[in-house]
Amino acid sequence: MNRLLGVALGILTAIGGFLDAGDLVTNAVVGSRFGLSLAWVVGLGIVGICVFAHMSGKVAAVSGRATFEVIRERLGPRAAGLNLVASLAVTVLTLIAEVGGIALALQLASSVDHRLWVPVAALAVWLVLWRVKFKVMENVTGLLGLTLIGFAVAVFLLGPDWGELAAGLAPSVPANESTTTYWYYAVALFGAAMTPYEVFFFSSGGVEEKWTVRDLATSRLNVLIGFPLGGFLSVAIAACAAIVLLPRGIAVDSMAQLVLPVAQAGGMLLVAVVIVGIAAATFGAALETALSTGYTLAQYLGWSWGKFRRPAHAARFHLSMIVALVVAVAVLATNVDPVAVTEYSVVFSAVALPLTYLPILVVANDPEYMGEHTNGRALNAVGSVYLVVLTVVALAAVPLMIVTRAGS
Amino acid sequence: MIVSDLLDLRAETTDGETVGWTVDARLVLDGPLDGPLARPRLVGLVVSPHTRTSFLGFERAQVPAPWLIARPLRRLHRGTFLVRWEDIARLPLPAERRDPDRRSAVVLRAGYGRHDPRL
Repeated sequence: MNRLLGVALGILTAIGGFLDAGDLVTNAVVGSRFGLSLAWVVGLGIVGICVFAHMSGKVAAVSGRATFEVIRERLGPRAAGLNLVASLAVTVLTLIAEVGGIALALQLASSVDHRLWVPVAALAVWLVLWRVKFKVMENVTGLLGLTLIGFAVAVFLLGPDWGELAAGLAPSVPANESTTTYWYYAVALFGAAMTPYEVFFFSSGGVEEKWTVRDLATSRLNVLIGFPLGGFLSVAIAACAAIVLLPRGIAVDSMAQLVLPVAQAGGMLLVAVVIVGIAAATFGAALETALSTGYTLAQYLGWSWGKFRRPAHAARFHLSMIVALVVAVAVLATNVDPVAVTEYSVVFSAVALPLTYLPILVVANDPEYMGEHTNGRALNAVGSVYLVVLTVVALAAVPLMIVTRAGS
Repeated sequence: MIVSDLLDLRAETTDGETVGWTVDARLVLDGPLDGPLARPRLVGLVVSPHTRTSFLGFERAQVPAPWLIARPLRRLHRGTFLVRWEDIARLPLPAERRDPDRRSAVVLRAGYGRHDPRL
């Protein structure tokens, strides 16, 4: 059990990346339109986020410095400020979607309209940020989020033709979809797997847990279990949609449709389990993005930060999270579709990533910071390949979004 | 004066010849104790001849990795040197720094030394 709780940070981080409100729906949309022909992107994203989080966790453990402190130091105030604006845009947009997502999950469970749940959800998130210890927070949301394994169970219960399902893994554009739309969703899935706030949260979480050089193994274990698990579950959601919804030509556009294949496979019991998972995942992602807002602002501006400090000793850090939550409630009060919000956020994410990734890659090689723990040749080779991939994705993201009108 | 007043400035000789741009300031902690640390002292400025962009810290040590970043940055910043504070004849006044044409510059003393920027 202690082992399992040791990787709660990795699991919670990965849930916020792969299984937040927007991604839950995006995965089902992709499954119902493209089958599993985009699963390779999730694989590419898993390896990328593992490399990125591994380096940032290592830097945090060895030097005690979280990612945005490193970014500010290496890029200087102007370039880091640009990164701050882009990263905050992604993080706050995602937070808006998560607060809306919690409300939608509660609507699924209670049949009470989600708009009524929004202030309750935001208040609950704030109370946890204000009162609950970091360790308790990550353990509870991480473990409850694991009930999303219900989607993987549903795939087995549906009893698909495994050969056919495996054949669908080959990258190919379905006949009724255009190539640009295919690539737009490829970028969206990649951007969902590799979000900047995951890395801010993971590295700052390492500092919150007071990691030192001795915790390098813990950091590695978190990375190697958390992110592949998150990726696996996101493919399971796509597979559910590909098996049940794709053959019937049902396009997904809401969170309620997400559970249709689960209901068919396992009945009400499995649906209940999965709804617990959805609520926990969106709640966990809300905590992750709210905290990331505070972490990035505080680390850029040199404020004291961290849940390990009493709120009075990190007042501006806590205040910025409160402001972010108020913004989220205000935006949701305009009746905007929470899920639509994240469609745009993943694209900002892809744009912000290279500026976030580059300083970490540089510092992970700096012996002044890292001593004997600098990157090895293999990690640098993979790391450099991903720098190129991230740059290409960043350049392609906005044009693809415009050309395909966000995949519609 | 804050450290930003010293950065991103053109550096020229007393003859008015441009030799580069100030990309970093080098400090040592050898002053009297000020809180837990010694008070920092400004040793000099790092001047890069070809570009005013950041060197991302590669000027401080001979780090060759990752090759994909280190190689182009080293090429862009080739010939970077450290000028000691004693070799600086004149700094632009705040009013000159605001000049939109950016003619303001750090003037280096005649016979100034070019030192290795590595720590």
